[in-house]
Amino acid sequence: MNAVSDSDISISDYEETEAGVSRSKAKGKGKATDKRKKDKAKRKPKDQAYTWEANFTRSWETVQEDEGGSLQGVMNDWMTRGRRKRLLEPQNAIRRTIIRHMVLLIDLSSSMMDRDMRPTRFAVTLQYAREFVLEWFDQNPLGQMAVVGMRAGVGERICDMSGNPQDVLKSISDRHKLEPTGEPSLQNSIEMARNSMNHLPTHSSREILIIFGSLTTCDPGNIHDTLDECVKHRVRISIVALAAEMKICRDLCDKTGGQFGVAMNEGHFKDLLFDLVPPPAQRALARSSGAGAGSGSSTNPAADLMMMGFPTRLPDTSPPSLCACHSELKSKGFLCPRCLSKICDVPTDCDICGLMIVSSPHLARSYHHLFPVKPYAPVASFDNIATSASCHACSRPFPTTPSQNVADGMSAIGRYRCPDCNTDFCSDCDVFVHDVIHCCPGCGK
Amino acid sequence: MDGSHLSVVVDLCPSQWHFSSLHQPYPLNLGSFFSQLLAFLNAHIASRHENSLAVFGAFPGKSVLLYSSADLSSETPSNDANSFPPFKMVDSTIMHNIVQHLDTLTQDPDEEEAPSALVGALTKSLCYINRLTLDFNASTANATEGLEPLTLSDPRILILSVSPDQTAFYIPVMNSIFSAQKLKVTIDACQIYGPETVFLQQAAHLTGGSYIYLERRDALLQYLTMAFLPPPSIRQTISVPTQDKIDFRAACFCHKNIVDVGFVCSVCLSVFCQPVPVCSTCRTKFPIKSLQRLNAARSSLPLSSASQSRNPSTPSTPQKTNGRASATPLRSETSLGPGGLPHTGSTNIKGSFQTNGAKNGLGLSR
Repeated sequence: MNAVSDSDISISDYEETEAGVSRSKAKGKGKATDKRKKDKAKRKPKDQAYTWEANFTRSWETVQEDEGGSLQGVMNDWMTRGRRKRLLEPQNAIRRTIIRHMVLLIDLSSSMMDRDMRPTRFAVTLQYAREFVLEWFDQNPLGQMAVVGMRAGVGERICDMSGNPQDVLKSISDRHKLEPTGEPSLQNSIEMARNSMNHLPTHSSREILIIFGSLTTCDPGNIHDTLDECVKHRVRISIVALAAEMKICRDLCDKTGGQFGVAMNEGHFKDLLFDLVPPPAQRALARSSGAGAGSGSSTNPAADLMMMGFPTRLPDTSPPSLCACHSELKSKGFLCPRCLSKICDVPTDCDICGLMIVSSPHLARSYHHLFPVKPYAPVASFDNIATSASCHACSRPFPTTPSQNVADGMSAIGRYRCPDCNTDFCSDCDVFVHDVIHCCPGCGK
Repeated sequence: MDGSHLSVVVDLCPSQWHFSSLHQPYPLNLGSFFSQLLAFLNAHIASRHENSLAVFGAFPGKSVLLYSSADLSSETPSNDANSFPPFKMVDSTIMHNIVQHLDTLTQDPDEEEAPSALVGALTKSLCYINRLTLDFNASTANATEGLEPLTLSDPRILILSVSPDQTAFYIPVMNSIFSAQKLKVTIDACQIYGPETVFLQQAAHLTGGSYIYLERRDALLQYLTMAFLPPPSIRQTISVPTQDKIDFRAACFCHKNIVDVGFVCSVCLSVFCQPVPVCSTCRTKFPIKSLQRLNAARSSLPLSSASQSRNPSTPSTPQKTNGRASATPLRSETSLGPGGLPHTGSTNIKGSFQTNGAKNGLGLSR
């Protein structure tokens, strides 16, 4: 039994599906739970398709206590993995579809009342959907979302396309209105979601996220026609299944360039859902459209240059005046920079001159995708240290003695060096700078 | 932790302080600034025993931690019967470090031209707060096992700036603001000298802090104690001055101008001040049709005062643009900046024109 390498996968599967995929791809030993289209081509027939076909591994045996009985070594190992994952990420993945439109399709069939997740699948789904909506709007402030329910054989519109997270949250907050009944219909609800996105401009993404608890679907026609329509209209379908993998679900995701995953437990469910929060890389979209329409990769027909205005916000204390959108007497509001009319809320299109008005922080929220901080290199030994004795960012003193049993990718002396400004940082700051700040304190880039 | 944490970022750009000491009325030189600042810092320490403090200096081209209450230096200052030891400690450490770094600055004449490293100081103070949070969690991990990770009670950052906006650092500043939001750090900003800064206004607005543009520079201590001494949690009850307008303009990626109407790439959301055929960030090519359409739309735009005054090297505009713009001179005059807008009340207009004038003068002189 190949204990070490296999357990590696089974641990990381929960926390780092991303890293798990790349690792399993490298070994040519993929697993079915999280696989994208790009992996499919490389899949070999001898591959294990399901989780339960994998070798039984004793993951707890790989957790080693050190001499003092603490689990510090394991924690270090986790951090190394995070670091390695970051190094594995492509540096040039800057083309992301940032103006997103998503329809959240929630299964409201009777199978959602199953109690394999506590208290029910339905309650867990609603709770995670709320968290997902908040996080999604936080990271995609220019995005819009609609909610459709699959209940009693039809698709049911729960919330219209909206850019306001509060609208979406309100629509899925009342569980009594969403009580699950009947059979789900994938075709009906996908058609409804697709039709509601037909009018959207080409530069925005069209995505459908399905949370699917049932193992059946009751459709009026051929669902493969719907699938072909989705491919044609570049609708990307991602599915998080709660029960098991279905062939049609896998096909829907693979052919449209989405992600498919089967949740193994509550934590995994949440991870699968939150994997869909960051904007998808544009390359994936180009590839999936290349399969359908055969467009070139260098020119992107979906891209466009948009004129946007950045408004001035008026305070609560300013003299009240009529707003252009509702004709109400208000103090606060935003001024269109082109026609100087007053608007209640951003982002919006100016009612007078039609200029798209966004607040610039909305745009700036996505900039860290464009200019990521270069990964810091671990400093191996004391040989080439001319700099200070404490972390450049937080002034925590560095350890003076090298620690034992360091894993690959970790620094024995706890120093991580920026390749640009050659200053050293502690491991906490390294993680913090790359995950949160996205700006090197040394060189300011 | 009961006490509140305060990080102060001090802009120590020598040339700007020189201008400030000459500026009439109400000149403020570095010496009197420090006597007022140290009084404020002492007040923060004195108001509660658990209060912690860190001071970061933004020198031209580098940023330095001047003082932190977490790692105190071993050397104790000479005892002075007339001073409270913690106050003495803060004062002497800060002044000693500043003098030291200013000395190294004068030895290296090249560095003097660099803009002050406000971004570096800001990110460092965020890292420092993150470190405090981690330390605090580690120390209380046994007591509160299984609970959510705790955060410090109202950590905040006070930025005392004298420099104008450094538009080259737009993205790092915004990234720092968002990480401050994530850490629940309040950013207060006080612009002591120079033009109003768009970035600090946005920083204070987005993190729930207050931004104050100092008009009476000689009353700095008054402003500091009244507005910035109380921690954010009790600012609801005592009415703290808030900003009247927030400028949501962005800096473009191509010429680092601050623009109010920009051209945005739909793929990566890069902002440009003029229509470009290819996005410089993600190398997306835009359709020629939309380029023509936008060029036509742009020519009907009044040129904003910001792009005119702040950057004399504005890229040459197409010939027809100039023609159209000069055809509507009245339009561009009425929109001379966000202050003179119809909805802001008539009293503001005069003042904002004056500040615009000041901006213009400064922009040319530098």
